Amino acid sequence: MSSLTLRNLQKRFGRVEVIRGVDLDVADGEFVVFVGPSGCGKSTLLRMISGLEDVTDGELRIGDRVVNEVQPAKRGVAMVFQSYALYPHLNVRDNMGFGLKVRKVPGPERERRVAEAAALLKLDALLERFPRELSGGQRQRVAIGRAIVGHPDVFLFDEPLSNLDAELRVHMRSEIAALHKRLGNTMIYVTHDQVEAMTLADKIVVLRDGLVEQVGSPRELYERPDNIFVAQFIGSPKMNILPAASAAGFGAQPAGTASVGIRPEHLSIVAPDRGQLSGKVVITEYTGASSLLHVALDSGETCLVVIDGDSPEADARVGLVAASKDLHHFGADGRAQRNLHG
Amino acid sequence: MTARGERAPWLTLKMREAMEAWLFLSPTLVGFLIFFVGPLFAVVWYSLTEWNLLSQQTTFVGLDNYDDALLRNPDFWQVVRNSIVFAIGLVPLNMALALGLALALSRRFPGVIFFRTVFFAPVVTSAVAWAIVWKFLLQGEAGFVNQMLAGIGISGPNWLREPDWAMVAVIVTRVIKMVGLNMILYIAALQAIPRDYEAAARLEGASNWQIFRMIIWPLLGPTTLVIMVITTIGSFKVFDHIYLMTGGGPENGTLVLAFYIYQQGFQFFDVGYASALAMIMFVIVMALTIVQLALRRRDT
Repeated sequence: MSSLTLRNLQKRFGRVEVIRGVDLDVADGEFVVFVGPSGCGKSTLLRMISGLEDVTDGELRIGDRVVNEVQPAKRGVAMVFQSYALYPHLNVRDNMGFGLKVRKVPGPERERRVAEAAALLKLDALLERFPRELSGGQRQRVAIGRAIVGHPDVFLFDEPLSNLDAELRVHMRSEIAALHKRLGNTMIYVTHDQVEAMTLADKIVVLRDGLVEQVGSPRELYERPDNIFVAQFIGSPKMNILPAASAAGFGAQPAGTASVGIRPEHLSIVAPDRGQLSGKVVITEYTGASSLLHVALDSGETCLVVIDGDSPEADARVGLVAASKDLHHFGADGRAQRNLHG
Repeated sequence: MTARGERAPWLTLKMREAMEAWLFLSPTLVGFLIFFVGPLFAVVWYSLTEWNLLSQQTTFVGLDNYDDALLRNPDFWQVVRNSIVFAIGLVPLNMALALGLALALSRRFPGVIFFRTVFFAPVVTSAVAWAIVWKFLLQGEAGFVNQMLAGIGISGPNWLREPDWAMVAVIVTRVIKMVGLNMILYIAALQAIPRDYEAAARLEGASNWQIFRMIIWPLLGPTTLVIMVITTIGSFKVFDHIYLMTGGGPENGTLVLAFYIYQQGFQFFDVGYASALAMIMFVIVMALTIVQLALRRRDT
């Protein structure tokens, strides 16, 4: 097992800067999730750690070794690809044992390690099958199994669940979490799905345009986002951001506040004359356990509200209230103002 | 009032779709029947006759033409041997070179399009121009190739005048002309292999050679089979190249099956015998193709 240290890590493709100086510490055994929108550089960063992309500048350490110039296979990492990258002409056994074979691990030892990983992932019955004969979830497990048999220090996952349907994704998510608990290895996981990030991570790294926007536990990012980008990226539906003037009804704001954020689930509906803000319901989306209301505020902005139970009809006038502890204040530069509640 | 849509159509939807499909297929189908299936049956019939193009007399002779070729005419076996030598020389050389070029030119690097064009250009070059240029290059002492060899102290043979060397010369010049086609097929196949396979193998510690041998080569299998079949068939059908470079000589050293058939049919006007030879060639090529397919099936 190993820790990981990134210092001012940079990657350029020609003149295009993809990773623009990333600093990060990953503790031994930690589950870290890189999350961000498409093109933010999260997969590139993962491939730099794996050695599949070289480092343009900065320092990359795995354990106490600088690995900038170390070959991928000698870094002690294993990677699970989005496409699974299972060799179609090899059966499950040979796919899982491929790495051991090329490293000249003796046959019996190879068999033992493949059997061990197969048992762990409930793949015993599938060892003779070819990838084309497996379901998406089974392929995913084989890909994870292939990573496990090499006994790596660090596991890297590159959007491993994005090719699965919603139900299977939830199932595999819990399997990966259970696997981390059992193995205890350092794991780095890339996803664009913030729900996946929230549910799996010990620590989330939010990336945008090749830079780290914020690093923290899921709770920290949800409750104390550093800026509007993180505030809106983490949490679903995304946080409402209102101009300071429109949100004046919520109460006092720190000096320099340009906008106020409030999560849809932190707003409550009251009678129009009793609300801190008021407006008209434009659309009601019923989702079963709750409803999502689109409320056109009197100040002109649209605000999302999540409510349980009965929801008002479209066109109904409503009042909105929020607890002051749930308000997030941002300056003109989009950064959080911390001097009221934070 | 009855709406028009309610009346049952004359033809069901399925029948109309089938009719449209046949209608669209018909131009090709008619051409295929007239210019391919028709002549094929004609050749089978001619092969059972003695038909002299000059006298225009046709006599049914049963399997006599086949007897002539297989049992009585020693030239035939010499020609078959030449064709096999040509195929054995050309197919592996062509495929190895095509794969090597494809591996080098399937990646992106500055100038890659230029190099692909250079190696593909001979495929679309006129066979006549190609043969004439190579005949000049391969001339005895005055030829460019021998002058280059002389420059490094080697005395080159008279390439197109010595039977063994003539075969080498026609094989190599044919390979250079046609290798671009197989190169393109291999490039397409290589580019269709997801890059993640290589990345995964590299992460697991595989060397370049191991990646090629254990991942790339097996995945190229279907393409290799197609290339092997079409190149083998092409090598048995080679005509223009031989006609232009050596005319089958010297001493029948490069007289291959397709050219021999042409000689018999259009120089000696023995269409019946030529047709029987064509049928034998058809069977040989078919048998080779079946063997290759069977070998491939056994391997997978």
